[in-house]
Amino acid sequence: MLFVELAVTGLVYGCMYAMMAVGLTLVYGLLRILHIAHAGVFALGAYVAVVVANATGSLALGFALALVVSAIAGVAIYRFAYQPLLGHPPFVPMIVSIGLFIVMQEGFRMVFGAYGIAFDDNPWYTSTVAIAGINLNYVEIAMVISSVVLLVGFGLFASLTRAGIGWRATVTDPQMATSFGVDPVRVRYVIFLFGSALAGIAGALVGLLNNYVEPTMGGLVSYKALAIIVLGGLGNVRGTLLASLVLGVVESYGTIYLADVFDRDAIGFLFLIVVLMVRPQGLLGRG
Amino acid sequence: MTVLARIDDLYISFGGVAAANGMSFAVNTGEFLAVIGPNGAGKTTALRMVAGILQPDSGRIIFNDRDVTSLPTHVRARLGLGFTHQVVRPFYSFSTIENVMIAAGHRQTESPWRALAGRSREEARMKAAAILEHIGLGEQIDKSPRALPLGQRKRLEVARAIALEPRLLLLDEPLAGLSSAEAATMADLIRTLPASGITVVLVEHNLGEVLRVADRIVVLDAGKVLAEGAPKEVMARDDVRQAYTGVV
Amino acid sequence: MSAYVASIVSVVGINMILALSLNIITGFCGQVSLGHAAFYGIGAYTAAYLSKLGVALPLTLLAGTITAGLIGVVVGLTSLRVRHDFLAVTTMGIGFVFLGFVRKQKWLGGELGISGIPASGLDPLAYALLIVGAAAAVIAFTVWLKRSWMGFTFDAVADDEDAARTVGINVSTYKLTAFGIGTALAGLAGGLYIYFARIILPDTFDFVQSIAILTMVVIGGTGSVWGIVASTIALTLLPEVSRAASDYRLLIFGAMLMLVMRFSPDGLAGLVRRRTTP
Repeated sequence: MLFVELAVTGLVYGCMYAMMAVGLTLVYGLLRILHIAHAGVFALGAYVAVVVANATGSLALGFALALVVSAIAGVAIYRFAYQPLLGHPPFVPMIVSIGLFIVMQEGFRMVFGAYGIAFDDNPWYTSTVAIAGINLNYVEIAMVISSVVLLVGFGLFASLTRAGIGWRATVTDPQMATSFGVDPVRVRYVIFLFGSALAGIAGALVGLLNNYVEPTMGGLVSYKALAIIVLGGLGNVRGTLLASLVLGVVESYGTIYLADVFDRDAIGFLFLIVVLMVRPQGLLGRG
Repeated sequence: MTVLARIDDLYISFGGVAAANGMSFAVNTGEFLAVIGPNGAGKTTALRMVAGILQPDSGRIIFNDRDVTSLPTHVRARLGLGFTHQVVRPFYSFSTIENVMIAAGHRQTESPWRALAGRSREEARMKAAAILEHIGLGEQIDKSPRALPLGQRKRLEVARAIALEPRLLLLDEPLAGLSSAEAATMADLIRTLPASGITVVLVEHNLGEVLRVADRIVVLDAGKVLAEGAPKEVMARDDVRQAYTGVV
Repeated sequence: MSAYVASIVSVVGINMILALSLNIITGFCGQVSLGHAAFYGIGAYTAAYLSKLGVALPLTLLAGTITAGLIGVVVGLTSLRVRHDFLAVTTMGIGFVFLGFVRKQKWLGGELGISGIPASGLDPLAYALLIVGAAAAVIAFTVWLKRSWMGFTFDAVADDEDAARTVGINVSTYKLTAFGIGTALAGLAGGLYIYFARIILPDTFDFVQSIAILTMVVIGGTGSVWGIVASTIALTLLPEVSRAASDYRLLIFGAMLMLVMRFSPDGLAGLVRRRTTP
């Protein structure tokens, strides 16, 4: 039973990683930037959710605002941090991204304090339901449902709508897409908008899951998300989704079976390094 | 006449399409050999396999009586197999003369320890300057390769390859993209190489220049040798004309 | 007062070795590393462990240097398989693997690290001078390397690996050499650090430390030597001169990374160069 339970916990984490990593891999696919500041957007979403929910008593309002604010923040990051640097070698925007992330993290510390904030009222945290003998709390279920809904919705948008097809074309061949009337700049905005909204929601959900929001909460998740997009084959969305779930499960088992040798955070990266040495192009190859 | 290099029954395919399909031919010491053929015949592939940039699926590459098939590019370069890229690849962060110096200093760069011990670049600079002068870039030595027009960048690519003091120089379409006047100058330039002890294998589409400068021609078609011999005789053959034009 | 000066001088010297050693890998040879602090940590842990067994100072430093360099060469092997962005994330991962490993090792003190490290036998000022001497040697070595054929060859590898191969350069060997030298020097910095701090904690060698080292390199000018020397001194002293700067050290680092990259991607050195050459 432990075996199955670990797999389920792993998949829940995998869903959370997927919500983070999809935005990162889209940004990478489009602009070749390792968007480390995505971690800041994740933490921003969590802070907006906890602050608004505690002030108004409405978790729904908190989540709605988390989604909106992180989406806007993502677009602003593109416009003011990355757009002026598009002609530079990828090293340059990556360093800027690291700098921006540090600034955001320190900003949260200054505004909200170093010790973190808990939700005043977090009913989902304590309510559990047993599915096939495995106890899950409502936050974990919400995590799975929201990631599936958002990612499937996104997948349908990308493959069925005109706009979605247009920007998939932009990722594969910007010049060709432009000549067919797709505006590449708008596509970039849409990707930052969508990816950042996902990250913000993921952050808010992780806040609920831990019942705690702190300045550094984005760090580890986003470093792992970086590992995931590399595992998935940078820019490859399908590979990223697969890698998210695989990493969630590997970590989950690793935490039990490798507990005496490595901590949880090292396991993901160890897995990444081993995979890359065998398959330098990632699990499914470059997108 | 001695054989300097020989490729022996090479096979390679990309995604199921054979680019070399039992390809064999020899290069004689001191000759100027041109490899021609219609698009997709496997010319560039052949050159890249000899240079070590591509690994054949099967077959052997012999250079100077030594089997070099499994040696990496840099080792082949040190054994005397020079190569120029079809799309020029200068070091853009270097000046023109530094591009040639890094090749001219190949004894210093052979091992990291020798490289760390040595500092004087004078000898390499003089050698590089002489080569650039000879090749007609004497005025451009301090410029960035970015500032050079394509014709001069192509010459820089040749200059860098010569600075390695190769015994065999593989030139991949050095005339492509040049005006007819530039192409003629470049052809005249590389034609002088055998006289200075460098055997040349030229892959080129510009048939006019090829027929003017080559001692011998190998015609490839569909990944194998269709014909080889003196330029005029080869070009007179019906099968060669058909491969090129589709008509007899 | 003089103890205070000695401690600042020691920190400047250690940071300088760290920044210049990362510069050999990232600045000279063009291989991005986001996990340099791990090698600082490997040097420190090796030296600390041996010092507790009673091994004398020169030997602990030597062992720290060699261990970090050897592991660095192994890690450098990854740079032969993956490039650029893949390498950045891989080296970042190596930092986390190192931390995750030492945190779980009881014989290395786990989360609490190693304390009670024996004294160097020198008074603080003399030990600070030893560190300064080591930093000076590293500066001299780096200047030599940059002007040598090795520096020239690193430039070629950083610029275009395929073109480097066609001019007979063994790209793999040179990359591993850069990793070996750079990580060994980081290990030396780690060894020097333990007799100064007398206690080491895993978190001293975390991702933030790797980024702090990278900040000094980037702000000084990736691939420069004197720019990095200047930026190391400035960034290390900054938190000391003002209380505010010390509270907001990370914020300032982050903001500087953004601003420097935005307005002068080749750092201070590039800024100076553009001022002096019209």
